[in-house]
Amino acid sequence: MSDTAHGVGGLTFDAKKRSVPTELNVFLALILIVVIFEILGWWMVDNSFLFNTSDRIDTLFNIQRIKIMILQFSIIGIIAIGVTQVIIMGGIDLSSGSVLGAVAMVTMSFAQASEVNGNPNPRALFLEQGWVDLPVLVPIMVGLSAGALAGFINGFLIAVTRIPPFIATLGMLLSARGVALWWSNGNPLSFPTESYKIIGAGMMPVYIFLFIAVLFGLIMKYTVYGKHTYAIGSNEQSARMSGIKVERHKILVYTIAGILAGLAAIVLSSKQETAQTGMGVMYELDAIAMAVIGGVSLSGGRGSVLGATIGMLILGVILSGFIFLRLDAYYQEIVKGAIIVGAVVLDQWRQQRAMAR
Amino acid sequence: MKRILLATGLAALMGTSALAENIGVSMARFDDNFLTVLRNGMEETAASMDGVELQIEDARDDVARQLDQINNFIASGVDAIIINAVDTSATEAMSSAAESAGVPLVYVNREPINVDTLPDNQAFVASNEIESGTLAAFEACQLLRAAGLGGGARGYMLMGQLSNQAAVARSQDVRDILGIAMCDFIELVDEQTANWSRDEAQNLMTNWISSGEPFNVVFANNDEMAIGAIQALKAAGISMDDVVVTGVDATQDALVAMQAGELDVTVFQDANGQGSGALKAALSLAAGEDVDQKVYIPFILVTPDNVGDFLSAN
Repeated sequence: MSDTAHGVGGLTFDAKKRSVPTELNVFLALILIVVIFEILGWWMVDNSFLFNTSDRIDTLFNIQRIKIMILQFSIIGIIAIGVTQVIIMGGIDLSSGSVLGAVAMVTMSFAQASEVNGNPNPRALFLEQGWVDLPVLVPIMVGLSAGALAGFINGFLIAVTRIPPFIATLGMLLSARGVALWWSNGNPLSFPTESYKIIGAGMMPVYIFLFIAVLFGLIMKYTVYGKHTYAIGSNEQSARMSGIKVERHKILVYTIAGILAGLAAIVLSSKQETAQTGMGVMYELDAIAMAVIGGVSLSGGRGSVLGATIGMLILGVILSGFIFLRLDAYYQEIVKGAIIVGAVVLDQWRQQRAMAR
Repeated sequence: MKRILLATGLAALMGTSALAENIGVSMARFDDNFLTVLRNGMEETAASMDGVELQIEDARDDVARQLDQINNFIASGVDAIIINAVDTSATEAMSSAAESAGVPLVYVNREPINVDTLPDNQAFVASNEIESGTLAAFEACQLLRAAGLGGGARGYMLMGQLSNQAAVARSQDVRDILGIAMCDFIELVDEQTANWSRDEAQNLMTNWISSGEPFNVVFANNDEMAIGAIQALKAAGISMDDVVVTGVDATQDALVAMQAGELDVTVFQDANGQGSGALKAALSLAAGEDVDQKVYIPFILVTPDNVGDFLSAN
């Protein structure tokens, strides 16, 4: 009974019990939040949140604001897609922010230009070795591999030593931040090559995010990889008994989460044209928040990449909305916390109702 | 003659190396650009001296952790302690812990609340935060006047972490300057925190730009946020000649941005000087010598005119 209500493998068989998909509810919440900001905007600052009110530009919507709402969380969104898969599998990844910091440092040290404004690059770590002006593929490969390594270590520890994911990734949270500090002795690394700057320029982070989201959205829905991930998250024992190689699959999912954290590091360091040891602090919590707001269940087995994507948009709308209303950051944190808790409470309540029917 | 001098010099060096000095250092955080330069300045100075051992700990912005580190330093018998305080209002406990153990103590970079009542073997080496924001804001005010905006200008302010004394002081400096008669033509449209971070500042600035409010100046509490604002302005196609951007710190990244004509004003804070100054004060105190208890190292205004002098400074 409880299995069908949860949906084995994320699939629900009884149409009556799941009439409205979670994603639609989350999407309606997004619309509601936008409408609230629109009303508050006219009331508090006498301006429109969503629509263009300037005479200088000839568009219906405030395109600039819509762009930044999507852009500002898209890099954490890339992490969130990895974290979503981990949570659907019944795990958790606390390390993604620190892994981003470490990978950004390592990657940037291979992406540096030899000269800045005609002077030798003062931030280049490997200037003496001559490892500057390298082709852009080198830092990209270094970054993805470093991310994969961190994710593999997470997965290996969890699958083989069977320590809880919380502990394994907490360890990685600390160690990876240590690597970020140690790599260049705490110094920031700046001034990458022109070709490296393109990766995160303009709306590129959004395009990269969309590509990754669509890719993993399809993979989670239509491939064996996705079905196994949902199956392990729903019931690890029965997944094992039905022949799924649970350990191997766990290592794979955590490694993919690591690669995505590495990708986020590349995009962020390119966008900022710098890598700093404090980069990505608390990103893991934003990533988890996106997944949870988007209806991904922390007990595993339920949720989707689409939901996490809408969760990302909700965080973006809230941030832009509060800046638009000229309210301080404190209020934003308070509301963000309330929305995360509210999302889970609503979800629980809906589930219980579905079970009772 | 030269050789004799050299020989005496060497003898003097050897003389000091006989007694190795152990100095415990507790930094507020390791991942801050400016504090990293300061920390490296201390390490380089120590490496250039014989027989000085530094043990540097990261308090990770946690007052309790910092006090624990100090007590651990005292327990392991260090000759002196250098503290870059996490919270400048929580320094009384640190001073009294060191005082009761008889260990000399030097505060660096951040001014402790008990700076006027420090015990004899404690000192303070830093710059006066009131200068930094004031210098930057006043220069911006003059630039705007020179650009013919004396009749009215609008600006935004990017603030550091609101729990941080430097962020509070620098923001207040800007407000104070905008309050004086010569500069009260500048109106702040909004002020928000971007937590010292380039990324957050870039997002915040883009959000502000999307409001469509006209503005002429952006005051940032540090250079990282100023660069973030510049990146947002450039991405929005706003000419850097039309907006005055100010920062504080004179980091390498900021000076390069200034050379490129993007950053207009920053303020040099001598991280290296503060680090080596604190170390020297600690060594003198450990040797029982008298030192000035309050050493202020001045801030210096950096504009495109004198940017060349600072390129290799921080």
